[in-house]
Amino acid sequence: MSVEATPLWEFVDITKAYPGVLANDKVCIKLLEGSIHGLLGENGCGKSTMIKTLSGVQQPDSGKILFKGNEVEITDPQDARDKGIATVFQEFSIVPTLSVGENIFLGNMPRSRFGMIDWKKIHSDAAAVLKEMEVDIPTEAIVGHLSVGEQQLVEIAKAIAIDARMIILDEPTAALGMDEIERLHQLLRKMRSRGTAILYVSHRLDEVERIVDEVTILRGGRVVRASGQTEIKIAQIVKAMVGEDIAEHYPKEHNATGDIVLQATGLSTKSGVADATLILHKGEVLGLGGVLGSGRTEIARALFGVDPLLKGEVKLNSKTVRFRSEMEAIQAGLALVPENRKFDGLFFNFRASGNITAASLGRISKLGVLDLKAEERGTHKLIEELEISKQAEEKTVNYLSGGNQQKIVIARWLFSDADVLIFDEPTQGIDIGAKIAVYKLINALTRAGKSIILISSDHDELLAMSDRIAVVEQGTIKRIVEATKLTHGDLVRASADIPHQPATVAHA
Amino acid sequence: MKRIIDAQLIGPFAAMAIVALIVALTTERFLNPSNLSNLSLQVCIVALIAIGASIVIFAAGIDLSSGSMVALLTMLLAEALKFMRVPLALAAPLMLVVGALLGLVLGVITAYGRIPAFITTLAALIGFRGLALTMNNGSPIFSLDPALEPLFYGQLFGVPLAFFYLVAFYCLAAFMMNFTKLGREIYAVGGNPAAAQLTGINVRRVRATTFVIAGFMTAVGALLMAARLNSGSPNYGQTMELQAIAAAVVGGASLAGGRGNILATLMGAMTIVIVQNGLNLNAAPSSVQNIVLGLIILLAVGVDMWRAEISEILSKLFGRSASSKAT
Repeated sequence: MSVEATPLWEFVDITKAYPGVLANDKVCIKLLEGSIHGLLGENGCGKSTMIKTLSGVQQPDSGKILFKGNEVEITDPQDARDKGIATVFQEFSIVPTLSVGENIFLGNMPRSRFGMIDWKKIHSDAAAVLKEMEVDIPTEAIVGHLSVGEQQLVEIAKAIAIDARMIILDEPTAALGMDEIERLHQLLRKMRSRGTAILYVSHRLDEVERIVDEVTILRGGRVVRASGQTEIKIAQIVKAMVGEDIAEHYPKEHNATGDIVLQATGLSTKSGVADATLILHKGEVLGLGGVLGSGRTEIARALFGVDPLLKGEVKLNSKTVRFRSEMEAIQAGLALVPENRKFDGLFFNFRASGNITAASLGRISKLGVLDLKAEERGTHKLIEELEISKQAEEKTVNYLSGGNQQKIVIARWLFSDADVLIFDEPTQGIDIGAKIAVYKLINALTRAGKSIILISSDHDELLAMSDRIAVVEQGTIKRIVEATKLTHGDLVRASADIPHQPATVAHA
Repeated sequence: MKRIIDAQLIGPFAAMAIVALIVALTTERFLNPSNLSNLSLQVCIVALIAIGASIVIFAAGIDLSSGSMVALLTMLLAEALKFMRVPLALAAPLMLVVGALLGLVLGVITAYGRIPAFITTLAALIGFRGLALTMNNGSPIFSLDPALEPLFYGQLFGVPLAFFYLVAFYCLAAFMMNFTKLGREIYAVGGNPAAAQLTGINVRRVRATTFVIAGFMTAVGALLMAARLNSGSPNYGQTMELQAIAAAVVGGASLAGGRGNILATLMGAMTIVIVQNGLNLNAAPSSVQNIVLGLIILLAVGVDMWRAEISEILSKLFGRSASSKAT
């Protein structure tokens, strides 16, 4: 792409202040036709603020917006759409109870002559859009029944339906499995070849490396690397984002021993776990790899007593256990750090202390009265150790960044002294610095003799942080392999097209 | 102490102080000792019931049943005292137990039967009053027991007993909410039930427990109601549930659950009663009182909802930087 070409959109010296914070300080971004532009930076660097300005949700305090070289204003989100800007926010804006077709044309449903909604046209137009995307979803399907990945595609179909010339994607792959990410990337490449400008915001640097053409990196509200100033290499990008060299992205320690802590044999549940068998050793990180919907989370839920077992046996420290609820699993020393910390993990009405002690209230109370001093002491210690923002002691956790929030959810299980921890996507949506902190935490836990089951869609992370990896497919564990003997490619293949592959490795 | 007297109390306290100041300035008789002790009598019953209403709300539930439960319980007490000749010393504690049991039934239906609290307690609101009307052919029962009235009107060291009830029960409730495992679990369940479940909190039991507490506190209120009028009636306690909820809401409790301070509920109840008292002293009709009460509720929730905008306006006015964050 030539530097001389007039950008489709150019944002010059965009400044936006919130009370007490300069969120964007003279940020400049040029978005070219037919180019995928990565907007990167740690949590709190000003990305979200920038996206809100670009999509018309808010007005900048100062700065210029140029559309094909002419100065314009984006007054509100509708105005942005009219000008051909479509934004796919991290939190979807689809209506789960409506059909695919209705969602795609929500807000501008085609009408017939008498002002009635033209259902035929909705579905035929929607089908045309989906066909163009090479996506095979029936337009009558109710969106709430689709997989998260398909919902994401419907979001993008909305953008294509309004003929957007520029698409902003905020963390588009946070909820997607590997094959779905690949599908999304193919679609983006296709849109790029048609001249659409794409702004791609993601914490998953491995993806960024693969898909973007240029990057702009923000730090502390300012542009630290403008387009073309940095190589699109993870190491370079991380350095610019964090502002310092990161010696080791994945500081893996090997602490696995030969002692068996947890042994599950032939687990089956109604939720789709089918004859899953695994062994977890003391100090080990056992990774569960597989696509979204392969049954990784369901296996975790079965171990944790959330979904009742139809068949199979779980042995904890060589004693057979049968958990009828989460409560019993927690009492036995298991812990589940759920995938969605916002919905299933955090108490936003509590400060760090209430969040950290929530699973240990029995231990810190006598005759039902809480030992608040012990709570404060324990919280303070963990906040220091895990380098959680000091604010967490005074403020409720909704004021904290995603990274700090995730550390607090994990700290809860450090405080509870659980022996077996199940981490479901522990680094989703948090920045590099916080990710490394989580990895170090995993090391500290295994060093202390705890065992971890790690579920992650980030294959690099899974490969680097696990001792062994169990490949999960259709609710069962196909094989368990040493992590060092697998590659990214193996996992993608295992995820994407195992049906075509003969099973060459015996069941573990 | 720092923990109980937190920022959540400042707003409701300020609201109460402002209302009291306005009433004191406009109404001569407001600060008379007799009026002030009358005030504690007026606030007592609703404020005690509001303890239960608030605790249910903290766990993200709602209790619409208390007003009708008051009627039912006063009738049960009246029947026991007057027709079954049960001594007061037995009937009164028994009444508290029955209240807690009725709460347990509602709690179990809600928590274990998975029927929304609004529906369970709406059904109880209608049903309990119906039950009360089946007793004594729907007529009130008067002159129950000479020992009953002093329970409400009695004084200790020249201070109405009502004042001591308030202090005792609110201290107990504040202790429970701030210093006990149960209190913490109630806030946790109200704040995020899914997370509470995954941290091993017995969510259903906690929810049911809040209704037991509410039933018990309603029974305490009903006992005092019967004592006040030395009678039982199927018409007692009308709209009492709404006043109790209003007290919690004016005190800043979030109906979404997880947020609220029990002492602020007392402030909320006082605010409402002071306004009613002021209007009474100025001979305003009850219609006006209702309109004002409605406006107070709207204003209280509005101030909470528009907190961000208000602080922005204030910071612009006074040039102070409020804390906020960008991502």
